[in-house]
Amino acid sequence: MSEILLCNQSLSPQNFQLQCGIEIDQISAFSCLKPTIMAANTPYVIGNDQSGASRSILAQLSPAPVAKELTNLSLSYGGDNIVALAEITEKLKEYNIGLMGASTSVYANRLGGFAGSVKDYQAALMEYRQAIVSKSPMKAAMKQKAQVAFEKMQSQFRNELKMVTAQVKARRGIPLTNVERATNIAESSRNVAKLNVTSQVQANNLVKFTKYAKVLGNGLAVIDFGSRAGNIHNSYQGGDNWERELFVESSSFALSAITATTVVNAGGAALSFLVMTTPIGWVGLVVGGLAVAGVAAYSSVAINQVVKEDAGGIYDSIIKVVGL
Amino acid sequence: MITDRAVCVGILIAFALLVSILYVVFGQLTVKKLRKNPKTKDALGLEYVSGWDIINVAQALALPKDWSKKLEQGSLSFMHAKASLLLENTNKFDRILGFLFYWLLIFTGFCSVLLVFLNAIGVFVK
Repeated sequence: MSEILLCNQSLSPQNFQLQCGIEIDQISAFSCLKPTIMAANTPYVIGNDQSGASRSILAQLSPAPVAKELTNLSLSYGGDNIVALAEITEKLKEYNIGLMGASTSVYANRLGGFAGSVKDYQAALMEYRQAIVSKSPMKAAMKQKAQVAFEKMQSQFRNELKMVTAQVKARRGIPLTNVERATNIAESSRNVAKLNVTSQVQANNLVKFTKYAKVLGNGLAVIDFGSRAGNIHNSYQGGDNWERELFVESSSFALSAITATTVVNAGGAALSFLVMTTPIGWVGLVVGGLAVAGVAAYSSVAINQVVKEDAGGIYDSIIKVVGL
Repeated sequence: MITDRAVCVGILIAFALLVSILYVVFGQLTVKKLRKNPKTKDALGLEYVSGWDIINVAQALALPKDWSKKLEQGSLSFMHAKASLLLENTNKFDRILGFLFYWLLIFTGFCSVLLVFLNAIGVFVK
């Protein structure tokens, strides 16, 4: 794991020690192994960890626009939040794709609702932070509001949350699973943020996240979800193998669509029979409908992920067999 | 290196390609005809999103007759296409096409769910 430090104003060695409690010679930047001051908007790694992984994480985060955006985001959301949000945004993109694939209103509502509830929670947290910064008397009410948004999200979307947070292993829990943690982060205001980045995949997600997320005036980040078409176009522009990307995107789309369609269709028929043969009543029907939508959501997102992981290799072996 | 899971995924992708082709063919040849027919155009079931009626029609033509009759009589019949009316207004080719499309779709879908399930319980972990 690499510990990354970010700061929004340059710090002299004395100031740095005051704020962070460590000596300046314990940190290093990508372009500067022995810094004499801590420069603003530059990622530094803590400790004398000169391993390849750390260096390449730093390299990914160092370009000026990425580093600046990341510093701002980390300061307004807190370091752990930003790592978690970056992961979740990646997942949400998959959800969005699953949503296109599924094309059913029941299901679209549910996923739209999930993305919405995450945003509501985020917005409530940001309002709380604003209230603290401006020492508003509404502080307690805002905290209450964040808690309500958190509970609503937890109770309605337990399964989806479990999926998106499964890979985020923060010791103290992440804001999506722990409201206490989230409000604590919102309360503290600093100008140095620390990120714990465990892998290059995570670093890559962070870089992507800085591109989707734009900090608005009120500190709220707008998250713009990419699309499959965007992925293909990016690899075309990047000179990568865009036909391969096209194969990956279209096959995972087709299978997640088919999976969701099957579950909704078969689930609908099963519910119809259930209503006829048992006295389940409308409550049972609603619960059954939700179960069908939930299974459709879960399985179409999951199959999308599985196909995405494997389709590239399959494409390669087809090309090899055909002999192109 | 091709794993067992990748082989399964590859087969599923091949099926998905077939299903997608059949979806378009069945939609163009059979459902388009039924949508234009004034007798059947209101009998295609609940359309969650545009194009869902193709699936409803395929289901009505593919399920065994006594099953689809039951679905027609139930309180949720509005969701499903009216099988008896559709059977009167389609020919043998439509029915075979619908049968092929529907069961291939269901087969592929459930295999995907099965794959997800097996993957989740760790069958493919080496």
